[in-house]
Amino acid sequence: MLLQGTDLQILTQPLLRFDMKSSVLDWLGIILKRDLIIAFRRSSTYITPLVFFLIVITFFPLALGPQESLLSSLAPGVIWIAALLASLLAVESIFSEDFRDGSLDDFFISLEPSFILVFAKVMIHWLITGLPILIASSLAAIILYLPLESFVPMILSLLLGTSFMSLLGALGAALSLGKSAILSAIIVLPFSIPTLLMGTSVVTFSLNNQDYSGFLMMMGAMLAIGIPLLCLLTVEALLLNYD
Amino acid sequence: MGSPPLFYRWSSKIMPWLGILAIIFLSIGLFWGLLIAPTDYKQGDVYRILYVHVPSAILGQSIFMFMAACGLINVVWRAKISGMMLKSAAPIGMSFTLIALVTGSVWGKPTWGTWWVWDARLTSTLILFFIYAALIGLYSSIDDKTKADRAVSILSIVGLAIIPVIKKSVDWWQTLHQPSTFTLTSSPSMSPDMYQPLLLCVIGFYLIFAFTLTLNLRNEVIDRERSKNWVKQIFVN
Repeated sequence: MLLQGTDLQILTQPLLRFDMKSSVLDWLGIILKRDLIIAFRRSSTYITPLVFFLIVITFFPLALGPQESLLSSLAPGVIWIAALLASLLAVESIFSEDFRDGSLDDFFISLEPSFILVFAKVMIHWLITGLPILIASSLAAIILYLPLESFVPMILSLLLGTSFMSLLGALGAALSLGKSAILSAIIVLPFSIPTLLMGTSVVTFSLNNQDYSGFLMMMGAMLAIGIPLLCLLTVEALLLNYD
Repeated sequence: MGSPPLFYRWSSKIMPWLGILAIIFLSIGLFWGLLIAPTDYKQGDVYRILYVHVPSAILGQSIFMFMAACGLINVVWRAKISGMMLKSAAPIGMSFTLIALVTGSVWGKPTWGTWWVWDARLTSTLILFFIYAALIGLYSSIDDKTKADRAVSILSIVGLAIIPVIKKSVDWWQTLHQPSTFTLTSSPSMSPDMYQPLLLCVIGFYLIFAFTLTLNLRNEVIDRERSKNWVKQIFVN
């Protein structure tokens, strides 16, 4: 609906061609391009999580009081909780639109690897929620008086953490396809606890001038294992709807 | 035992024995533990709640491992019965985890002075409880039972992968924020006359789990196969 006639032609044509020479990367590029155009045309997809993130951040000083020492010690946790919740907010949209209008059926019929489809969807989700949050987090760090030295660890931990959240979110969205949005949140939240713990630990350690690289490595390892495992399980979960 | 009618016949033979064994083990273990075992010189009689607390905590974890194994079998080989097992085990595991949490805080109040401490072990048990809740919540949201089985199987596999990470990260987190003041492990190693009844209780709890699982599973099998002939034959005659 959001695509105009000419775009549709450009975008659906490669999807429908059964060209054995088309490589996996082409396929990834096609999906990314299509979904980015759709997301870009509807600005609410990437603005809503961003605004939500900033509003939640603003609520903490309002509720806890504006003392600088208190806020700066709470900042790692506050930023991380807000980032988790904001990235969960858009989880619902990962597959539901495509499922409803039938594009998901097309993807599965196209005989292209469905693993790549899920991976592309995760990347899109990260690009429209994780990336804006990453940028907004520096603003949040300023208003919560987080010391400047902790900016880099915060960005690094959020980079790894929000990517893992997008992976988990895709699984939650696939499992709760067509169900209430709160269900996918309940599914995903308990599993996101290690990310939250390690992410906040990275920032807190850097506040105390301690070595935080171990946590970053663990988060990277989780991401490295999560990409194949969670994408495969998400494919399996999506296929539940096509028995 | 893959086919439901075979399982039903086989389980009706084995179930009474499971029940009898569970009663024997639990009554000996609990009688020994609650009445005969010596009083702890530091904690007094309060420590005796351990004969319920420790077995249910062990069960809460091992039932999850069992469920994840069932989930893996269900996803890979599409074995129907393993999906039903997963579904039947979930509420039992959740109950045991809840019992472990409640008895733990009942024990904590007189011993530590608070109902709850953000200790690593307590926290990861609480998270385990939430994961059970997520699995059961997901199950109840899907109407088609085979589909629900497979959805829950997929999620339980993720749980299997992430639970060690949760335990490890909670350990780090806890040591970061506050030195652990109270741990179960730091208490002097148990004397044999306290340990032996505990062992009996653990075995008894496992038997209780096997018994209730079989009971749940039989109900599940009958419920799903109610339109089949073999079920009609059992209940009409």
